[in-house]
Amino acid sequence: MKRCAGTRRSFALLLIVGFLALSPASAYAVELSVFAAASMTESMNRVAEAYRAIVPEVTIVYNFDSSGTLKTQIEQGADCDLFISAGQKQMNELDITADPAVNKGGLNFVREGTRFNIVSNQVVLIVPKGQNKRGIADFRDVTTDKVALVALGNSDVPVGQYSEEIYRNLGLWDQLKEMNRITYCSNVKEVLSQVAAGAVDCGIVYGTDAASAADKVDVVAQAPKGSHRPIVYPAGVMRATQKPVEAIAFAKYLQSPECVAIFERHGFSKPGE
Amino acid sequence: MDLFPLYNSLRVAAISTVITFFTGIAAAYYIAKTPRVVKGVLDCVLTLPMVLPPTVVGFFLLKTIGPLGPVGSRVLELFGAKLVMVWYSAIFATTIVTFPLMYRTVRGAFEAFDETLLYSGQTLGLSNTYLFWRVMMPNCKQGILAGTVLAFARALGEYGATTMVTGYIPGRTATISTTVYQLWREGNDILAYKWVAINLIISAAVLVAVNMLENRYRQPRSAAKDILSDEEGVGVP
Repeated sequence: MKRCAGTRRSFALLLIVGFLALSPASAYAVELSVFAAASMTESMNRVAEAYRAIVPEVTIVYNFDSSGTLKTQIEQGADCDLFISAGQKQMNELDITADPAVNKGGLNFVREGTRFNIVSNQVVLIVPKGQNKRGIADFRDVTTDKVALVALGNSDVPVGQYSEEIYRNLGLWDQLKEMNRITYCSNVKEVLSQVAAGAVDCGIVYGTDAASAADKVDVVAQAPKGSHRPIVYPAGVMRATQKPVEAIAFAKYLQSPECVAIFERHGFSKPGE
Repeated sequence: MDLFPLYNSLRVAAISTVITFFTGIAAAYYIAKTPRVVKGVLDCVLTLPMVLPPTVVGFFLLKTIGPLGPVGSRVLELFGAKLVMVWYSAIFATTIVTFPLMYRTVRGAFEAFDETLLYSGQTLGLSNTYLFWRVMMPNCKQGILAGTVLAFARALGEYGATTMVTGYIPGRTATISTTVYQLWREGNDILAYKWVAINLIISAAVLVAVNMLENRYRQPRSAAKDILSDEEGVGVP
């Protein structure tokens, strides 16, 4: 019993000291949960570093994955304050003000007035660095015997949707599917990894992803003009956020000249272009 | 409905089970005879793939048999053949992941095996090979069967390492597990449910068949067990 009392007292002392030690620093500390398309990994990490220098109380916690996966996670109730998608489709599916033909579930996850376009991107054809023996040089080469295997995002991944759009506009999509030479990947970074590892002959990714892995892949072609809709990334604060003030402040920061410069350095362009 | 994933999963699981059957039994037999320290080290190394996350196994595999890896690039040079992104890449993944299951189960069976039977056989002048195939193996049937079934079931359900080395090419490398994942991602729940049902039916059928076989092996020996002794059974517990 005596031992118990002694232990209890020292435990209580420890708690008090602990609270005292922690409280000044944690007087105001907020964590923002940002879900962003996988292609934004490198640039958003730089943005978070820059933001910490200005607003040290806010810590950004990222979840990078394909926009389709992120949209499903948000729909299932994941804790997200700000969502950046690589395609309008995924944001539209969560936005009550969007076309009901797209937002079939009538979902209302986007906080009104907070949606904006953040960056724009290009789609390119890449090959493993230094391994283009058969001279793949054009998107149309995938249906020739220059290519045995091509990696594309699957239909839930924006870059996969853009790839399908490009090939439909070139009139090659059905033929390509019949040839059993597409391997479908769950997000754009997986396509990039497969090409970088040389497991496939070529793949379709964003220009920014190719730039981020310039030591492992070579860009051989840009998507033909007009073969796909403009690739514009929408961003929006989520209705269910517990930290609307901080989330809206971060969203405003993303539109500042500082951030635009960071995005352009990584290969993105302004959304208007 | 495209039934290629069913055919592919079954053939990958069957081939890798055959491989692990022979390699697992061989490993269990020879390692049981090694000194304790060597046995401990080998045990750890050979059981590792079972406890590692399949994605770790897949990562190592890609770095080894991938076109830029030491083994993959050599094979590409010599034979012009790819070891990844083809249907048989899955066999590498499933064999590595299921080997520990077969190995440990069979080792358990061999260690519980009563060695006096072997000694008696040796006094009668029987060769080691004869003793292994005609005395040891039949008495460890249950352990071996259990190991084989575990290996087959695990191979059928392999996802993480498989998806990394084979990708997902409908009609060429799709397995049931990778197909269900893709269908979920595409939002095609109905087809996903169909594949889940197929998988459940196959797994249930395998387990029922195994149960029936186990009962057949158990009954005739129970009489012999009663005659011999109360504490020491013969063969597997």
